[in-house]
Amino acid sequence: MAKVQFIKSADVKPWLAELAKEHRVFAPSYDGEALLFRPFDLEQEIILDRAATMPPKKTVFPQSEKLVDFTYSKDPENLSRVKIDARETLPEGSTVVFGSRPCDARGFTMFDRVYLSDKNTDIYYQARRKNTLFITLACRTIENTCFCNWVDSDPCDPTGSDVLAIPMNDGYLLESVSEQGEKLLNSKLLADGSSRKVEADKICQEIAGSINNTKDLSQAPAKLLAVFDNMQFWEEVSAKCLSCGACTYLCPSCYCFNITDETNGMKGKRLRSWDNCMSAQFTMEASGHNPRPTKAHRLKNRVGHKFSYYPTIHGGVISCCGCGRCIKSCPAGIDIREIVLKAIDFEPAAVEE
Amino acid sequence: MKYQQELKDSIRKALPGLDVVIAWSAGYDPLHATPHFIRREEDIDRLEIGPFSVHNLATYLPGLRGKKVGIVVKGCDSRSVIELLQENLINREEVTIFGFPCTGVVDQTKIRKALGHTGKVDFCQIASQTVVIGLGGEEHKLRLSKVLADKCFSCQYPNALISDHFVGEKISPSVQTEGDDDLEAFEKMPMDERFAFWQKEMDRCIRCYACRNACPMCVCRDHCLAESRDPHWLSQEDSVRDKWMFQLIHAYHLAGRCTECGECQRACPMDIPLLLLKKKMNKEIKELFQYEAGVDPEATPPLLSFKMEEENINEREW
Amino acid sequence: MTKNIYLPEMATIQEVIRETHNIMTFRVTLNNPEAMKNFSFKPGQVGQVSSFGTGEATFVINSPPTRMDYLQFSVMRTGEVTSKLHSLKAGDQIGVRAPLGNSFPYEDMKGKDIVFVGGGIGMAPLRTLLLFMLDNRADYGKITLLYGARSPVDMAYSYELQDWLDRDDLDTYLTIDAPYEGWQHKVGLIPNVLLDIAPSPGNSVAITCGPPIMIKFTLQALEKLGFKDEQIVTTLEKRMKCGVGICGRCNIGTSYVCMDGPVFTRAQLRQLPNEL
Repeated sequence: MAKVQFIKSADVKPWLAELAKEHRVFAPSYDGEALLFRPFDLEQEIILDRAATMPPKKTVFPQSEKLVDFTYSKDPENLSRVKIDARETLPEGSTVVFGSRPCDARGFTMFDRVYLSDKNTDIYYQARRKNTLFITLACRTIENTCFCNWVDSDPCDPTGSDVLAIPMNDGYLLESVSEQGEKLLNSKLLADGSSRKVEADKICQEIAGSINNTKDLSQAPAKLLAVFDNMQFWEEVSAKCLSCGACTYLCPSCYCFNITDETNGMKGKRLRSWDNCMSAQFTMEASGHNPRPTKAHRLKNRVGHKFSYYPTIHGGVISCCGCGRCIKSCPAGIDIREIVLKAIDFEPAAVEE
Repeated sequence: MKYQQELKDSIRKALPGLDVVIAWSAGYDPLHATPHFIRREEDIDRLEIGPFSVHNLATYLPGLRGKKVGIVVKGCDSRSVIELLQENLINREEVTIFGFPCTGVVDQTKIRKALGHTGKVDFCQIASQTVVIGLGGEEHKLRLSKVLADKCFSCQYPNALISDHFVGEKISPSVQTEGDDDLEAFEKMPMDERFAFWQKEMDRCIRCYACRNACPMCVCRDHCLAESRDPHWLSQEDSVRDKWMFQLIHAYHLAGRCTECGECQRACPMDIPLLLLKKKMNKEIKELFQYEAGVDPEATPPLLSFKMEEENINEREW
Repeated sequence: MTKNIYLPEMATIQEVIRETHNIMTFRVTLNNPEAMKNFSFKPGQVGQVSSFGTGEATFVINSPPTRMDYLQFSVMRTGEVTSKLHSLKAGDQIGVRAPLGNSFPYEDMKGKDIVFVGGGIGMAPLRTLLLFMLDNRADYGKITLLYGARSPVDMAYSYELQDWLDRDDLDTYLTIDAPYEGWQHKVGLIPNVLLDIAPSPGNSVAITCGPPIMIKFTLQALEKLGFKDEQIVTTLEKRMKCGVGICGRCNIGTSYVCMDGPVFTRAQLRQLPNEL
């Protein structure tokens, strides 16, 4: 049975302050004009009535992280030999993210299938994932760019979260989703909320009703493959693309990375840092050959991966959580929904005999 | 926009001789436009120009060399076209320029700020100086002057400086209502505060390089120092030092070439005030060389030319 | 404890062989004797070899699993990492993450006639399988090797070629692109020489690796000779970083070259989207 608690709006910050004694707590607040998940600070205003500019992706998948620390030294036994000491550096401590949206939290489930698969476990990701708890805020307002309902989700979806918070007029109904989440709900600032469950369910229903009409994307995997070789299709949909990484870096489910060595004198580190398939360097081979030489090839991979290859590998799950940030943040206004629908509707021109 | 039909007609006439015409069409909501690539007659109908035509389409030109390209430009965009021509980054005979009198474009950040919370945008109407926005069932009235881009207030070139087809009546430059407040404020800061300012702003950079890729004058494209390993200028670490280093090199490469179109700042998903840095650089260039980028197709940007003696640089204190 | 897939085993270069002007071979052993003793791999699997401070790059282990005194990697100098590796000498320390990827279907090849067609550095992945088969000679039928390079000085493994030529249980053909003084073997492009040799497709498998243009015409030649798609095996190269199917760059549609490859039959390649 899920634990159901209620918190008054005014008690949110004191509660987060309590949580901050045991965990690193992140909550959305403004940094300039960007709304970001930043370390909780009692002095800072936290903003919960709108979606953040960035999803809380960095809390589990930092923009850059150290995989290996290495040091060069002279071998005292044989001074002509250089010794290298290389060791792993695993993240420690626990984190609570407050105010993630259902799409944000669900994004990590797309990571999980790849980073924690039967074949391989990424222990850096695992260490953070296990120790990062999401108190997710159901959405009360829907934006033009929202389409979580197209990808099997909804504005109150608890998937990937530990606690689901439903905004009510006087506070939030807090419902535990995971066991770890339940442990977060023991504060004296919280009161039993079971009596308000009906009201909260009604709010969720109302919001779900206000979202844009859904579209059937079940044909997307096959249809995207069918237009794979149609470069005119891809050149047209990518014409306005600037090949930057805004869409991927703001995407809660984009998980690609680079590995580079960075040195400083005799010391150095092997870094994992965000990388993106829109960059020409991403697949550039040392010989100069590039299997994805143009932005058309690269955008094809981005859309193809999310709506065709990933679902084909992972039981039909589309690797997009419908948050719409790629649409909002694209400096050229590329709308991924438009491309997917265009591929689904694409009919090859009839060939005259 | 009152010259829209005239522009469509003009494009319709020229299209048979062109591979593509780049303009704008409606975007994902009533508050956004998007670049629109017109290849076929039927694409022309979707063309829209107006206060949401924010994108500087000149950015696409170097990537389309070898094609016959038509481009619709605002006055500020035309300066980028001129700069690209000056540097032989595009061929004049391959480009057909469509100009129109621009009365200013919006700054999406200002609109977002003015509206406060977000929600579904149902409609947007602009009548004289008022913008009426339907947001989540409520109507919001904003004064156009409150949401126009800063660059529009001091715009000296509302009409394309170079064009093959110009629709409508040329208009006179706006009387400057506001100065470069942000630049003045910045210059009043002592050096260490300036550095602290940039450290704070650059801290949230996610290194997506939208600033670089949206810049019409940033033409190294796939061979950028940001990712180069040999030479290894920058580390891939999430550090302010590396992010700031990139912006500085970027700004230096643009000194005297940047036309202050503001695409770097507009493209930045983290709203980092990158234009401020470019304005500061350009101000220095103007003081040293009395030069303004992208105005005269025949001119040579000062840092692309060499003189034995510069009038305003007394390096040996002679 | 779960294995850290990104932490390389430290290894020592035992021997460096200069093969050609731009190819060097490194014989390495893992520093941890237990790890070296327990190391096992299959012919065709690759490793991420790193020089700390420069980075990692992918190379096939070209020594066979039947000879475990050392692991051998041949490195053609093309970029940052390979240039750095070329500066290393015996005794130097490197990192190795191996084995990664799939292997040649050597079990399915038992009892069959084998045709190897290698061009340039593409001989490296063939070498591991060739030596493995020679070490298990009774399991396989007739083995033919066609190895070509631009000129004699571009030919790697020159020190073992004579042995291969001398063997009764291996038909070795060497070819170079243009006549060269003193050259006693074939002259001509690999696909043309292959058509001359005309190995029978009957109960055969052809394994080919080399530069893209050579692969393209070799596949055409094999088709002409009657080899079916299922009888042709090749091994691909892609830019790789993680090597374990996570970092996301080496995919061709749903297939990750680092996990599902690098070895593919031509029949499998035809099922993949066209993005080599």
